Amino acid sequence: MGLCTRFALLAAASALALGCRADARTDEAFPRRETLSVGGFQWAQPSTFNPLASTPDWPVTTLTAQNLFYETLLVFNTLSGQMQPLLAESFVVKADIIEVTLQPKARFRDGSPVTAEDVKYTFDLGQRHKTIRVATLWPFLSEVRVLDDAPGSDGAGEPHHRRVGFRLNPARNNPLVVLDSLQETHILPRHAIEPLLQAAGDDMNEFLKVKFSDGPVGTGPYTLHSFSSEKIATERRDDYWGNDVFFGGKRAAPRYVVHPLYKSNDHYSVALQQGRLDASSSFIPRIWLKQRKGVRAWYDRAPFFAPSAMPVLWINHNRPPLGDVHMRRAMAFAIQYDDIRELAVSGYSEPMKPGLVLPFGFEGKYYSEADAQQYGASIYDPARARAELVAGGYESVWGADGELIETRQGGRRVPTVYVKSPTGWTDWEASVRIVVRSMRAVGIDARERFVDTGAYNPAGVAGDFDLLMFTPSSAPTPSKPWSRFDFVLNTRDFAPEGAKMYKNMGRFNDPKGPNYIRRFDELLDLIPTLAEPAALLAAYRELNVLFMQHQPVLPLVYRPDQFYEFSTRVWSGFPTAADPFLPPQIPGARMGTRTLWHLSLTETAPSGGAAQN
Amino acid sequence: MLHNHPSLKHVLGRGAWYFLTFVFAVTLNFVLPRLGEANPIDTIMARAAANLDAATAREQEEAYLREFGLVELDGQGQISRDVTGKPIPTSLATQFTRYVALCFEGDLGTSILQYPKRVGEIIGTALPWTLALQLPTIIFGWFVGNLLGALAAYKRGVFDRLLYPFALLTSAVPAFCMGILLVYVFGIQLEWFPAAGGYDEGMNTSLSWSFVQSASYYYVLPFVSIVVIVTGHQAIGMRSMCIYELGTDYVRYAKLLGIRERKIVLYMFRNAMLPQLTGLALALGAMVGGALITEMIFSYPGLGLVILTAIQGNDYPVITGCTLLITTTVLCANFGVDILVGFLDPRVRAGRTASK
Repeated sequence: MGLCTRFALLAAASALALGCRADARTDEAFPRRETLSVGGFQWAQPSTFNPLASTPDWPVTTLTAQNLFYETLLVFNTLSGQMQPLLAESFVVKADIIEVTLQPKARFRDGSPVTAEDVKYTFDLGQRHKTIRVATLWPFLSEVRVLDDAPGSDGAGEPHHRRVGFRLNPARNNPLVVLDSLQETHILPRHAIEPLLQAAGDDMNEFLKVKFSDGPVGTGPYTLHSFSSEKIATERRDDYWGNDVFFGGKRAAPRYVVHPLYKSNDHYSVALQQGRLDASSSFIPRIWLKQRKGVRAWYDRAPFFAPSAMPVLWINHNRPPLGDVHMRRAMAFAIQYDDIRELAVSGYSEPMKPGLVLPFGFEGKYYSEADAQQYGASIYDPARARAELVAGGYESVWGADGELIETRQGGRRVPTVYVKSPTGWTDWEASVRIVVRSMRAVGIDARERFVDTGAYNPAGVAGDFDLLMFTPSSAPTPSKPWSRFDFVLNTRDFAPEGAKMYKNMGRFNDPKGPNYIRRFDELLDLIPTLAEPAALLAAYRELNVLFMQHQPVLPLVYRPDQFYEFSTRVWSGFPTAADPFLPPQIPGARMGTRTLWHLSLTETAPSGGAAQN
Repeated sequence: MLHNHPSLKHVLGRGAWYFLTFVFAVTLNFVLPRLGEANPIDTIMARAAANLDAATAREQEEAYLREFGLVELDGQGQISRDVTGKPIPTSLATQFTRYVALCFEGDLGTSILQYPKRVGEIIGTALPWTLALQLPTIIFGWFVGNLLGALAAYKRGVFDRLLYPFALLTSAVPAFCMGILLVYVFGIQLEWFPAAGGYDEGMNTSLSWSFVQSASYYYVLPFVSIVVIVTGHQAIGMRSMCIYELGTDYVRYAKLLGIRERKIVLYMFRNAMLPQLTGLALALGAMVGGALITEMIFSYPGLGLVILTAIQGNDYPVITGCTLLITTTVLCANFGVDILVGFLDPRVRAGRTASK
């Protein structure tokens, strides 16, 4: 009877619920046929839509160059490696200045034109307030100026200035950093932001308490509809200026773009399989198993995604034996890269090649296979790993059971090398286990050390690690691969262990140390100034060879910066490798936003006003 | 004077003890998260500072430290520095005094990771989810569980032999296991129920009938996943209590006196109920801590997840705000039970007067 009671209760509850299900969808806020549901960009509850906050909510965040609300001057096409117009109609890179011409028709949501003064204002904010993101650009600029002498006409409305110049700082001539910023910085309306800033007494901390919950005064195709702890919803602006300029007067297909806030990758994965989510940049393991449920990625087979980032192990050069190049190269030869690719990251990667340049994609033209063969150590080759150990005077002590006991040098025990990684990041944990197993197999005494995320972040900055998992400068931007090299090798703000260093966390190549290699810094300064392809290739090859010879960090695998999955249950028209009319980016991010104009409802889309399942 | 009012004296005495416990708990809640080496500013800076040069990074870090009251300020509102130019961190004692002062004004502070959200606001949005998830399950499970337990103890036989192992089984299943199992079978394989979330994604919260329908439909799996476990627990507890009571002198005496069976059962039930009541109150008090695992599985943005994210990022103000809420409700619930039991159970009152 107990069982019966239970089942009766369960049945009653189910019946009630199933009954509800039949007619529960009469007054939806977001009808499924008008809604594109995207995920993977935001995990936390919404906290602020302030465009100057360091990490504002989706879609205001600039980390993935989101452009539904605010737009950038240019947008980077990762397929072609070219910058394409957005708010800017064109741009020219000259020796000492980058000149940008604005789209005459570009408008903010309140109808006012996007002027050269707005652009200047946006960037100048970084001079007034050192703690906002655009301030990081100012060491490379001497001035942002309005270039027109007289206001130009746009054929409609008030004439306004449309040309802006970004004058480069001659002391740190680096157009690459400026170009990165042009495709990342959201252009803000001076007439809407400045009064709020003044009301806050020009105090940035006060201004950041304004949450912009009523929606942005942006230029983008969508605006804020509503938000809660479960989702952020945006609604199409039918008067978006870009409809005419880019899409022949057509509107974006979905009326709403909604980002549900799930708690884990699994939720996004299940929602995608059930057709509740249309596109996601979350990690989905073994995606080939989900194909029959209509879940697709860029490629239909391995590697499924287009890799653009490179997780590495930082090496702490102050801690013996890691200052020794033989040990570092031995480690590079020891790692079983194929296992990491196959087991830790679901095969979502191309085979590993030595060096810090991606051997494919828009960076591929700077990669040299011959150099890699001749100098590279990031190739699994246990014999060469042991040879490096012997060359460095290391000997491995093995137990009777074949287990490594310790590594010695000159009869003295070499300290165990601990590989630090945050707990719970499963793909990284798996990679670290493979690294440790590989190193021990050739006789290097390495061990895993998984730490809480709260302890992981400060450990990296302070240099408190032997080896540490990290992905340096992962975003696909026009400065690649220079910015990856810069992140790994930068010695400008060299700080001792314990003090903070946000790049080159392993403290490689101390400029005040006895073994300083000046050529690294010379090449890092030289490359951004080069425009001629042959000179650029020669400089990159030299830098990459130096990198391979010294192996300052251990690259492990190639990964996409943002994953790209979509479901074909409700919407079709997503770009794929077979039909690459746009790069693999989720609508909202970078060029992915343009997908919104190419989408159409599928036959399997729920009919009428009814929704999913 | 209180001599003549034993009940009042009892209440005041207990109250004083609870207040002491409260002060102690709040202090611990404040100090413990701040003892670790990691601090929340490091977490923010790791995200924000990668492209800053060293001087600007330091400037930004100091701006944050200042905003969250983690460094000493001098008379002009400038950061006080030691001889090497490093900011002087505010002592824990000072931070605590400020915190208590603000608490009295009803201000729990500002979240560091979800800046500029107020802690009160964060708790306010999460609490309804937690209550909605747990209040009905705990109460329903408690009633059904106790009823089944008492019946099993009294009837014995087949009913007991079926119920007891079943209750043992369900009460021993970990919540995450039950949740994942239900989601896998009914959410993903059969697709009878939604796998996660609180209501239809096409909706916004409202008081409409269709919203209530949608929310109840989404509620089935989380409800079942907790209620089965709570019921099992309660049934086992109640069954043992009742069996114990069945063997006591007063029951045997009542039987000898020939008192009607129904009356005896009622006596027995009242006595067996007391520990169960305490359990209920404690469960209700601890409920605000959130059902972390269930919230995670069903993607409910409740307090459990708020606390987890706060702890992972060392978001002191949120951790302290949540633990303050939990401490307060647990202590209030305990205090309530203490008083209530005093009134419900003559033995407690008698004991108190006798010892005087």
